[in-house]
Amino acid sequence: MLRWGHVAVWLIVVSLIAFVRLYLGAGRVWLAWTACGLRTFALLLNFFTGQNLNYREITDLVPVRFLGESVAAAKGVPNPWMLVGQLSLVVWLVFTIDATIMTWRRGDRERAFAVGGSIVFFALASSIQAPLVFWGIIQMPLSASLFFTGIVTVMGYELSSEMLRAPQVDRKLQESEAGLHEIEVRMRLAVESADFGIWIRDLVRDEIWATDEWRALFGFPDTERLKLDRILERIHSEDQDKFRSVLKNATEGGASYEGEFRVVLPTGEVRWIGSHGHVEFDGTGKPILVRGVSHDITARKEAEQETQNLRREIAHVGRVSMMGQLASALAHEINQPLGAILRNAEAAELFLQNGSPDLEEIRAIFADIRKDNQRAGSVIDRMRALLKRQNLDKRSVDVSELVGEVVALVHSDATARHVKFEVAVADRLPPVCGDVVHLQQVLLNLIVNAMDALDEAKAGDRRVSVTASLGGPQTIEIAVSDSGCGIPADKLTHIFDPFFTTKPKGMGMGLPISRTIIEAHHGRLWEENRPGGGASFRFTLPIEAGSTAK
Amino acid sequence: MSETTPIVHVVDDDASFLTAMSRLFRANGFSVKTYSSAHEFLAQRDADTPGCVLADLRMPQMSGLDLQTALAQTPNPLPILFLTGHGDIPSTVRAMRDGAEDFLEKTAPKKKLIDAVTRALSRDSQEREARARRRELRTRFDTLTERELEVLAHVVRGQLNKQIAGDLGIHERTVKLHRTAITTKLKVQSVAELTRLTQEAGIFPGPVRTFPKGQ
Repeated sequence: MLRWGHVAVWLIVVSLIAFVRLYLGAGRVWLAWTACGLRTFALLLNFFTGQNLNYREITDLVPVRFLGESVAAAKGVPNPWMLVGQLSLVVWLVFTIDATIMTWRRGDRERAFAVGGSIVFFALASSIQAPLVFWGIIQMPLSASLFFTGIVTVMGYELSSEMLRAPQVDRKLQESEAGLHEIEVRMRLAVESADFGIWIRDLVRDEIWATDEWRALFGFPDTERLKLDRILERIHSEDQDKFRSVLKNATEGGASYEGEFRVVLPTGEVRWIGSHGHVEFDGTGKPILVRGVSHDITARKEAEQETQNLRREIAHVGRVSMMGQLASALAHEINQPLGAILRNAEAAELFLQNGSPDLEEIRAIFADIRKDNQRAGSVIDRMRALLKRQNLDKRSVDVSELVGEVVALVHSDATARHVKFEVAVADRLPPVCGDVVHLQQVLLNLIVNAMDALDEAKAGDRRVSVTASLGGPQTIEIAVSDSGCGIPADKLTHIFDPFFTTKPKGMGMGLPISRTIIEAHHGRLWEENRPGGGASFRFTLPIEAGSTAK
Repeated sequence: MSETTPIVHVVDDDASFLTAMSRLFRANGFSVKTYSSAHEFLAQRDADTPGCVLADLRMPQMSGLDLQTALAQTPNPLPILFLTGHGDIPSTVRAMRDGAEDFLEKTAPKKKLIDAVTRALSRDSQEREARARRRELRTRFDTLTERELEVLAHVVRGQLNKQIAGDLGIHERTVKLHRTAITTKLKVQSVAELTRLTQEAGIFPGPVRTFPKGQ
C-alpha cells in the first residue's frame, strides 16, 4: 500500500515540472528531464527494493499526534535508495529556481513569485521534512503531503484567476481587433490612393515582407518569397552602390532609411523609386527591424532630368555664344582697318594707272595703310592683353572634371552626328591652374572642330578621342584627335592665322583665340597629323604647384 | 532733263575707312560724300540729288538698320547698301527683308563693291523716273473736278454710261460730256489707257482692286 503512494508523488513531481515549463515557459530543459528521470528511477526502486522507497523494513506502526489527531506512522529501517528520491527533488528544486529566476528577469514578477516561489518553498520544505522525520527529530506522518497540497492550492489559484481573466482579455482583444481593423482599412485606403508600397525587413530573422503594391512597384509576383539579393538584382546597375550604402547605413546604426534609385522591371521598364523608413532597435540598441514605404517617383525624376538638361543646354549655348560673340566683336574690329587698307591699296592702284598721278595723294594713302596696319595689330594685342590680365580667373582645375564636363556638353550633338567619343584621362592627374571657362572654351572649340572634320567620314568611322596625361614633370598634355582625313599640308601653316577657315560658315577665329588662351595659361597649343590619318590638336598646361600665376 | 551726277554717300564712324572708300570711288569715277554718322547724313543730304548710301551696320547712336528705317520714311529714299566687319545673320535677314540693296563685307572684293554700287545707282535712277512720272500724272489728275473724278471711278470699274448716269443720278449725255473732259485733260485716247494711267498714278487705291490682297 505504501508503495503506491509514491506513484502519486511521481505524478505530482512530473506534472509540476511540466506545469512550470509550459506555464512559465522558462527553465532549462535538461534539468527538467533529469529531475523526471531520477524520479522515475526512484519509483522503480520503490517497487523493487525493501518495503518501499523509504523503508527497507517497517517494524512497527506508532501512533503520532499530529494537529490534535492521532495518526499511525510507520516506523522501521530506512531504505538507503531513498536518497535517489531526495536527489530527484533537489534537481527539481534547482530547475524550478532556475525557471523562477528567468521569469523574474523577464519582468513577469508576479507569476514568478506566485508559482515559482511557492513551489520552491513547498518543495524545499518537503525535502527537508522527510529526513527530519526519518531521523526522528520531528514526529509526524511522512506521507502527509501537506506541502504538495500547498503547491496544488497555489497552482489552482493561479489557473483559476487566469480563467477568470480570460473572458475579460478576450473582450478587450475583440475590441482592439475591431480598432485595428479600422486602422488597417484606413491605412489601406491611404496607401492605395498614394501608390505606396509598404515593406518590413526583419534583420533578426532575415526576412522581408511587403504589400502587394510594393510587389507591383518592383515587379515581384505575389507568390515569390522576397530575398534581398533578388531585390538587389532589380536595382539599376548605376544605382546599386547607392542602394547598398543605404542598406548598410540602416543596419549599422542609422535611425532612418532614405533612398532614391532606379528599378529595372523584368519587362525592361525603368522606374524611379523613392524609399524611406525607420529602423527599430531592441533594448541593447541593436537594429532588429526596418519598416518603410516605397513609391514611384518616375514623373518627378523625369521632370528634374528635363530641367537639368535644359540648364545644361543653356550653359552650352552660353558658352558657345560667348566665344561666338568674342569672335564676332573681334572680327568687326579687325575688319575695319583691314577693309580700309584694302580700299586704300585698290585706290592707289587705280590712281597709279592714271597718266599723271597725284603723288601727294599716293603718299597719304601709304601713310594711312601703315597706320591701319598698326591698328589691326593693336586689336590682336588688345585681345591678348584682355585674356591675359583681367579676364583670367585662375583657380585649381581638375583635368578629369574639365574633360568630363565638356564631353558631356557636346554629348547630344555628338550622338546626333554619329560621332563616337573615346575619353582617356590618366588616373590621379594633379590639378592645373587656369580659368575654367576659358579652358572649357578651348576644349569645346577643339572638339567641335574635330566633329566638323568628320562630316565627310562614314557614320561608323567617326571617332573623336580626348586624352589627358602627364606631358612632362611640370605639365599636363591634353589632346583632341579625330579619325578624319587630317589637315592638308598647304593649310597646315595657316590654321592658326586669324580669319583662316576651311568651313563655309567658319570665322577663322576659334584656333587663334584658343592658342591665345592657352598661351595666356603659359601653355602651348599645336597640331599634329596622326600617322594613321586624322588630325590631333594638343595643348599643355602647367601643373598647379609649379605655377606662380595668381 | 539733264540730271546732276549721282553721289555715293558713305556713312561710317571709322574716319580712316571713310577716307579709303572715298579715294576708291573717286578713282573709279564716282562722286563721293562721306559722313561720320547717320545723323550727319540725314541732316546734310539733298533729297533731289540721285545716288545711293553705303552704311556701316554697326555704328554708335544710330545703326545702319536705323538709318534704313529713317530713310524709307523720306519722300525720296535712296537705295542702301550695308557694310559690315563681319555679317551676323539676324541683322542680315532684317536688312534684306527691309529692302537693303546689298550686304557687303568691308573686305569684299573691289569688283563686287563697285558692281553693287553701280546696281544701286541704276535702281535709284529707275525709281526716280517712276516717282517723277507719278508726280507728273498726279498733276494731270489734279486738274479734274470732283464730279469728273466720280465719273472716272465708275469708268475704270468698267461701267457703261447708262449705269454711271443711273448711279450718279445724272443724265447720260452729261456723263458723256464728263468723259470727254477727262480724256482731254489727261491726254488719253482709250479707256484702256485711262485705266492704266489711273493705276499708275495711284488714284483710287481701293476700288480698282477687285479681289482682296494677300489671298
